[in-house]
Amino acid sequence: MAVLKINGEDKIFENSVPSTLKNLLELLKVDQTTVVAEVNGQIIPRGNFQNTVLRDGHKIELIRFVGGG
Amino acid sequence: MAKLSYEQFEEMLIERHGKSVHKKLKAATIGIAGLGGLGSNVAVSLARIGVGKLIIADFDVVEPSNLNRQQYFVEQLGTSKVAALTENLKRINPYIKIDGCPVKLTPDNIQKTFSGCRIIAECFDKAQQKQMLVETVLNTMNDVIIVAVSGLGGYGRSNEINTRKISDRLILIGDSNSGIEAGFSLMAPRVAIAAGHQANAIVELIIES
Repeated sequence: MAVLKINGEDKIFENSVPSTLKNLLELLKVDQTTVVAEVNGQIIPRGNFQNTVLRDGHKIELIRFVGGG
Repeated sequence: MAKLSYEQFEEMLIERHGKSVHKKLKAATIGIAGLGGLGSNVAVSLARIGVGKLIIADFDVVEPSNLNRQQYFVEQLGTSKVAALTENLKRINPYIKIDGCPVKLTPDNIQKTFSGCRIIAECFDKAQQKQMLVETVLNTMNDVIIVAVSGLGGYGRSNEINTRKISDRLILIGDSNSGIEAGFSLMAPRVAIAAGHQANAIVELIIES
């Protein structure tokens, strides 16, 4: 079992956490062009989502934007 | 036409807000990225209370479809939003300093456009643009706080629009949900509620730090 803390809540994975931030966002069906992501307090630029490796226990903040202004 | 001298205007603001608050507001420089329903309303609020300087950026012109929620007038149709808003703000507060930037903001020019701002209001319309600005500011402008908005479409549900402190440098306003993609239309009242939250968060940041 493995855990990611996403926006303050534990998300439990049966085997292991998704290997990268990109994989996590795909799993969560989050549009990558409209999310600002932070892993363990560090802002991850959108271009680095696929190189950002996730591990058990990582803390992730996902700020999702919808249009309108 | 009625006139109000610089001294009279200052006196009015000090009488309303107190000297120490007035001094802080007057010393502030605030960046506003996007001059639509959010940006035009945020700018009007900040100009009225005597914020010293605004850096306003938008590459668009005023269009008929803007009039249902944005602070422009019919006779300004076709005028650049930067020029039209500068004119309107000066009619409210003749002594505010305005730096107008009629440019399209990109990761390459955001830092330069808003240099000197400690707080930036994210007032874009498109979700991708919001993402781009927030990511760029958080990544490249270390001492800057960004006040962003997500979810303000439709009507009613006033109390679902809230202000959340995500981190020391990011404040997020909105209901996180009611986007134009989901078919919500943008209307003056609910857009103004979000803009009010945004301007109010900015005032709090200016006064309490």
